Amino acid sequence: MPDRYRKPVAILGAGLAGVTAAAALRRRGVPVRLYEAGRQIAGLAASYKDAKGFSNDFGAHFITNRLAAAIGVGALCRDVAHYGEAVLLRGRSYGYPFGLMRSPRLALSGLWSKLSGSRATPASAADYFRLRYGSALADQIAIPLIEAWSGVKAEVLASSSVSEKLQNSTLRAVQLAVASRVTRRAVANGYSHEMPEQTNVWHVYPEGGVSVLVQRLAQGLEDVIHLESPVEGIVVEDGRVVAVQVAGRQEECSAAVSTAPCNVLPKLVRGWDGLNHLAKFRFRPMVFVNLRLRGRGLLPDTVLWTPEPEFPFFRMTETTISMPWLAPPGKSIVTVDFGCEKADPVWGMADDVLTEHCLDHMTPIIRDVRLRFLGAQILRTPIAYPVYLNEYEDTRRQFRDTTGVAGLYSIGRNGEFAHILMEDVYWRTLAKVRQVARELEAAA
Amino acid sequence: MQCCICGHDDALPVAVGADFEYHSSPDQFLAMCCRSCGLVYLKLRPAMSELDRIYPPTYHAFDFTAEKFGLAHWVRRRLEARRLLQWCRDLGPSSRILDVGCGDGFHLKLLAEFGSPDWALEGVDASERAVNAARGQDLTVHLGTIQQLALAPDSYDLALLIATIEHVDDPPEVLRAVHRVLRPGGRALIVTDNTETPSFRMFAGRHWGGYHFPRHWNLFDPRNLRRLATDQGFLVDHLATIVTPVNWTYSVHNVLVDYQAPAWLINRFTLASPVSLGVFTLLDIVLQFFGRGGLLQAVLRKPARDGRDGHNA
Repeated sequence: MPDRYRKPVAILGAGLAGVTAAAALRRRGVPVRLYEAGRQIAGLAASYKDAKGFSNDFGAHFITNRLAAAIGVGALCRDVAHYGEAVLLRGRSYGYPFGLMRSPRLALSGLWSKLSGSRATPASAADYFRLRYGSALADQIAIPLIEAWSGVKAEVLASSSVSEKLQNSTLRAVQLAVASRVTRRAVANGYSHEMPEQTNVWHVYPEGGVSVLVQRLAQGLEDVIHLESPVEGIVVEDGRVVAVQVAGRQEECSAAVSTAPCNVLPKLVRGWDGLNHLAKFRFRPMVFVNLRLRGRGLLPDTVLWTPEPEFPFFRMTETTISMPWLAPPGKSIVTVDFGCEKADPVWGMADDVLTEHCLDHMTPIIRDVRLRFLGAQILRTPIAYPVYLNEYEDTRRQFRDTTGVAGLYSIGRNGEFAHILMEDVYWRTLAKVRQVARELEAAA
Repeated sequence: MQCCICGHDDALPVAVGADFEYHSSPDQFLAMCCRSCGLVYLKLRPAMSELDRIYPPTYHAFDFTAEKFGLAHWVRRRLEARRLLQWCRDLGPSSRILDVGCGDGFHLKLLAEFGSPDWALEGVDASERAVNAARGQDLTVHLGTIQQLALAPDSYDLALLIATIEHVDDPPEVLRAVHRVLRPGGRALIVTDNTETPSFRMFAGRHWGGYHFPRHWNLFDPRNLRRLATDQGFLVDHLATIVTPVNWTYSVHNVLVDYQAPAWLINRFTLASPVSLGVFTLLDIVLQFFGRGGLLQAVLRKPARDGRDGHNA
C-alpha cells in the first residue's frame, strides 16, 4: 500500500452511496473506514414480508436491470412488466403524459407553447412549466403538483427543480413508451439521468428489497464497516479534513465522504465556518401512508397524480400494479403521499386518525375503499426531497461541484442535495470516487 | 474497474444482457465501453470456479463436429484452413506452432491436415474439457493458461490466438506471455470480434452476438487492438478485418430468444443453420469491402534480437 494512503478515507453512512464509495475506493487500494450510525447497513432500504404475505418496502422500490447487472444481483431480480402514470382531473383520469392530449384545452395549450417555441430562460419552475407546457397544463397540473411536493410557491422554485429531471426529448419519451408496450417490460423513462436511457434498460425489483444491492456491494468490506458508530464531527485544519470524531475519539483520515443530508454539514464540521450557507438548504418532509387493500387494479395506473386542491395528498401509488408479487393474490398495496412540514397537522396526526383522513379523501377515487381496507402502516420522513429555492440556487450550483473544503465530499441523494434515483446515485458516486482518488493523489 | 488497455477508469455502460445461447447462468451482465480507448469489456466477470458452468459440455469450441454442424462444419474447415495457411507460408520445415486457447484443437487439426507434416504443433487451453477433447485426437495440448505454464522462452515460430483474446481476463498479460515464448522474429496471429461494425452499432444495447455473455470479457476495435499489441512490444505487420457471419447470426438469434420467439425460428439462426450463415456471409462480404468485416485479424511480430525489423523466417 502506498505511503500516502496510510490514513483511511472516512465514509459516513452505509447506504447505497456510502457502500458504493467504500467498495470503489478499496478496489483502488485506498484504505477506507465506513461509519454507520444504525445497527445495520442499508437500514431504510430493507424490506420484509409480514405474516399475511405483504412486503413492506421503504425507500426506492425500483432499480434498473442495468444497475442490477453493475452490482451483480441480476439473478435476484424480477422484471417489472408495466409502469405507468395517470393524472386525475375532474374525476377523470388521463394517462401521463400522452393521455393528457385527449383534453382539447390541454392539447391546444401544449401545442401552442411548443409552436411559439420561446427561447427565454425560465426564471422559476412556474415559468418553466408555462413556457414549455402552456398555461393550461401548467396551472391545472404541473404547478399544483410541484407546490404540493415542495411546499413552496412554484414562483420561488428554481427552474432546475424541473429541468434537471425532465431531460428526454418528446420523441425519445414516445420511443421508450412504445418499446415498453411492445416488449412488455417497464422501460425506464425519465428515471436515469446519469447514463443514457434506452429500450434495453428497464425496471426490475430485487427479491428482498433494495437492501440486497447494498449487501452485495458490502461483501468483502466487513472489516472496515463500523456499525452503531455515528460520526459526531469532521475536523478541519487549515481548510483540509484531517480527522473524524467517533464515540468521543478522534480518528485521523485523509478525507471524509459524507452521505448525511448536506444541510447538517455546517454542524458536523469543526474548525471551519465556511459551510454555514448549506444550513439554508431545505428538504421537504413527507408522510407516506401504506394501505393494504382488498382487490387489484384499484387505480387507473401504477401512479395517480392528484393535482386538485380537494385532495390533501398529491400522489397515490398502487405498487402491486407494477409488482404484483408484493401482496397476496387479490390484494394490493396503495401508498398515499402527503407533502407537509413538521408544523403541519398531518405530520403530528395519530396513525389511526391519519388513516381515516386518508380514506375519507380517497372515496371519490376508490368508492368502496373502506370496504376494501385491511390495514395501514405509516412512514414519516423528515427529508424526502430536496427543494431548490431560487434564493440559494447559485450556492447550490457551487456546492454541486465542490464543498469548498479540501478532502470533504458529500455524496448520495441527501448528500448531493439532488433528486436522484438509485441508479444515478450509483454512477454519480463512482464519478465522485474518481475525483476523490485524483485529489488524494494530487495531495500526496 | 480500469480499462486494461489504456488504464482509464471512466466507462459508459453500453449493454445489459444474459447468456442467450447456452443459458448457463440466470445472471445479467453489463458491458462497459471505455470512454478513452473504446475497449468494450464485461464489468463483473464470473469467477474462475464458475468457468465449468459458463463453458458447458455442449460449448461449440469443445464440440464442433461434422455430425452436429454438417455443411457449416465442412465449409468452415476449408475457409479457415485457407485463412490460416496464408500466414504459415514462410514457416520453415521444422517450425513450432502454438495455438493459445486451442479449444478442442480445431485449428491444430487443420494445420496437421493441410500444413507441412514437419511442423511441431502444440496447444494450450485452460479448460480440462477442451484439453481432453483435443488430446483424444492425438494432439499435444498443455492444460493451463499461457501465463502459468512454464513453456520455454524464445522457442515458437508462430502463436495463434484465434477467438482467444476476447475470452481472457487480462489480454496484456496474455500477450506478454506470448511475446516471451516466441522466438525473436516469431509472429502471433490474433483473430477476434470487431466492435467497429454495423452489427455492433445495431445491436450494441443488448443482443450483439459478439458479446457472447458472459464469455467475452474484452472486445476490440482496430485502434485499441493495435495499442494492445504495441504496448507489449510487438510490431504490427498486418491489421485488417475479415468476414464472418457469426455475429450477425447470433445477434438475430439473441433478439429472438430474448423476445421468446418459437424454437423452430430461433434454430434458423445458429452455427448449425447454413442458410442464415450463408446470407450473413454475403452481407459481411459487402461490409468487408468497406473495411467493416465482423472479425479483426492482426499479425504481430516480436522484433528480431539484433534490433533490425527485417523479415526473419
